[in-house]
Amino acid sequence: MTQPILQINHLQKRFGTFTALHDITFTVNAGEVFGFIGPNGAGKSTTIRTLLGVIRASGGSATIFGHDVWRDRVTIHQRLAYVPGDVTLWPNLTGGEIIDLLLRLNGVAHSARTDRLITRFALDPTKKARTYSKGNRQKVALIAAFSQPADFYIFDEPTAGLDPLNEKYFQEAVLALKQQGKAVLLSSHILSEVERMCDRIAIIRDDTIIETGTLADMRHLTRTQITITTQTPVDPAALPGIHEARVGHQVNEWQFAVEADQLPGVLAALARHQIVALTSTPPTLEDLFLHYYGKE
Amino acid sequence: MGPFTQTGQLTRLALRRDWWRLLLWGVSLVGLMMAVAAKFATIYGTPAEIAGITQALKTPAIVALFGPFRLGTHATTAQVFANEMLLFMALIQVVMSISLGIHATRHEEDTGITELLRAHAIGSLAPLQAAVIELTLINLSIGILDALGLSLAGLPGATWLGNWVIGLGLAASGWVFGMLALLSAQLADHATSATGLAYALFGLSYLVRMLTDVQAPRYTWLSPLGWVEKLAPYQQPRLLPLILFGGLGLLCLGSASVWAQCRDLGAGILTIRAGRATAARALRGPITLLWRQEYRVIMGWVLGITVLGAAYGAVFDTIGDILKTNPTMQQVFGTNALHAANHQLILTYSSTIALVLTAVASIPGLQLIFKLYHDDLSGWLDALYARPVSRQRLLLGYTGSAVTTSCLVFLGGWSGLVLVGNFSLTHAADGLTWSEFLTGVAGSVPVMALLLGLGALVVGAWPQGRLVVWGYLAYAFISQYLGNLLQLPHWAKSLGVFDWLPTVPDHAINWVTVSWELGLAISCGLIGLGSYVRRNLQSHGSQAFHLIFTI
Ligand SMILES: Nc1ncnc2c1ncn2[C@@H]1O[C@H](COP(=O)(O)OP(=O)(O)OP(=O)(O)O)[C@@H](O)[C@H]1O
Ligand SMILES: [Mg+2]
Repeated sequence: MTQPILQINHLQKRFGTFTALHDITFTVNAGEVFGFIGPNGAGKSTTIRTLLGVIRASGGSATIFGHDVWRDRVTIHQRLAYVPGDVTLWPNLTGGEIIDLLLRLNGVAHSARTDRLITRFALDPTKKARTYSKGNRQKVALIAAFSQPADFYIFDEPTAGLDPLNEKYFQEAVLALKQQGKAVLLSSHILSEVERMCDRIAIIRDDTIIETGTLADMRHLTRTQITITTQTPVDPAALPGIHEARVGHQVNEWQFAVEADQLPGVLAALARHQIVALTSTPPTLEDLFLHYYGKE
Repeated sequence: MGPFTQTGQLTRLALRRDWWRLLLWGVSLVGLMMAVAAKFATIYGTPAEIAGITQALKTPAIVALFGPFRLGTHATTAQVFANEMLLFMALIQVVMSISLGIHATRHEEDTGITELLRAHAIGSLAPLQAAVIELTLINLSIGILDALGLSLAGLPGATWLGNWVIGLGLAASGWVFGMLALLSAQLADHATSATGLAYALFGLSYLVRMLTDVQAPRYTWLSPLGWVEKLAPYQQPRLLPLILFGGLGLLCLGSASVWAQCRDLGAGILTIRAGRATAARALRGPITLLWRQEYRVIMGWVLGITVLGAAYGAVFDTIGDILKTNPTMQQVFGTNALHAANHQLILTYSSTIALVLTAVASIPGLQLIFKLYHDDLSGWLDALYARPVSRQRLLLGYTGSAVTTSCLVFLGGWSGLVLVGNFSLTHAADGLTWSEFLTGVAGSVPVMALLLGLGALVVGAWPQGRLVVWGYLAYAFISQYLGNLLQLPHWAKSLGVFDWLPTVPDHAINWVTVSWELGLAISCGLIGLGSYVRRNLQSHGSQAFHLIFTI
């Protein structure tokens, strides 16, 4: 089995007496887009800043490419690219200059790929950074990151401030990275984006990872919405694993939520009443999110 | 892949980012040095001319301000020049190094740029190292140009070695405080507190320098600023100060590097404490908001300047003793006349300090007014202007706060001087009286008002001209401070705002001048207000400036 690109084990971070990260454990493998979601202030950016070696963990361990993130940060960063959520640039340099500079810091030159990205994201590289809008500042960092040949890409809310078209280009670029076998860690609040792109997801809440896995795995932990119409009358509320059952608008129509592991039994029971119509809506990431975040 | 990887690239970036500042500082410092040297050659070229000034240079008041006079009777022009100018030039160079050092490190870190950089394959010490190289380059360049300029100026009595000792000595003193600033930047938790820390240490070494110079010159070795005086470039050039500078600088740099290696980005030694959950009752408008944000800085200024004033006051007893410099006086004068003469000495000295305090107290005021522009550019003011807050209220509020701040700072320093000074006197009667204290206040307030009015005019009409105001303040101060020593022509001095009123409290107040000065200050403020209300925000406002002057 190949070694994971990123490996985090029981990572902790305290700022003075305040615990920002309590227990963070997950891995990211090559060829995988890993989603990192959680409510505001849960510790996503803090985790990422620890991975970048700009802040030092108070406990646990984290390695990238098998190297310790604090000790070997310079070695790691040669094969790593990062885009923060809120990009600040040098006000008196142009976007083009900043992109080239950031590339040179990794010993890479401006390439045809850089030009393609600049055209793709429709950035005017000749403007001074102080005149850029938020989205344009974000684009500068994205273009620099995508045109840097790396094996591990970290994005912290990269699309905040991008218009939908550029957001789409971003997603395409990330999927292209995945096809090339790169690893990507993506923290985002745009759940549709995470749902579409990520192979696995970690949910962080109150400075602890509370769930890791594929979206399909997680769906098993919640309920599927069912709307069903049968030939003969039935009362699904009596069946096991059924919640929030309501009579629908049509005759013999019901709406209810069913626990994922009870679904086969429920459907079998209902089938005896001859199903006329059935729609099932799997929980979206948003449902999952609300389910987890809303707890307690 | 050491901790210094990519330092070269970052250094180039730093020079690129700061070239305008570096150029401006370099040109001003070297230019000032050359101009003063050339002037010295003409006004103190002959032994007779030198003899005419030595008596004045020996008075404790001048010693407190410029450093001790340690030259024999046959002092050369070059020696007098070095004796009087070295400390002054070093002070300015230190201010430059501190501001550049903090800007290059902590300020970049506060904005988040350092985090973006550190995600690239750069060494963990590379940003710090780039700042070190930048500071070394600028200080060394200024030093070399100073040395070359002095050779060019050809002061009578100057030696090749002496010129280079001055150049390298100034370079080293600026550099060492630059390294100190880099260390402060690692210890403090953001740029403002780092600047405060660096200036506190700078102020401390200035105080030690001054007190020891006046009272116990042997101990001046305790202060890094004192080492500048010990260079003695044209008598017995010493290299020991250079070695001390090097050692102290490396010590600061070493500690800064160690701390930079193991601390969290964005954090300092001081951990962040939790604050209030709800706003204090007083926090209810844009002005109280300004004070809430700035009161630490303002308190720092008041406290620092009070200490400075007190230290200047602590030497009243030495200064106000005419027998120290003129032992024969005892026979000539009676006791009463002696006390009157002593009182006069203290009065003259206090007037010079009042000038220094006024100039220094204007700095935080101007900074507060200019903050209106910075806050606007950074987008903070959007949140205020989206509410029923008028521009008049904001500009007047910032200006009013600035005036209050400057007055508080001045009062702190001035009362520190007078209280400690009078207390230290053996004969209380030699000291300043209440009415002299008040005259000092009344003479200084209009000057600060004028400078701040000019600030309000600029921030309202032409914010890009901020540098002009700083330049004018520097010019006005230097022309007055060095005016007598350099025998500046009257017109050159009278361009500066400090010259419009006779110095106080050694002269009476001219209420007519005070009135028109205050009137002018208020008019400047009103013009500034008028164009601030009309111009586009988040712009440089030059259009509005244009408008005002075409109408
Ligand atoms: N330097 C610091 N000192 C003290 N507390 C900090 C520091 N940096 C972050 N925190 C705290 O750590 C917690 C986690 O912050 P973090 O920025 O990681 O959240 P996040 O998950 O990225 O949130 P968001 O979704 O809003 O970006 C927050 O409570 C924050 O206040
Ligand atoms: Mg975040």
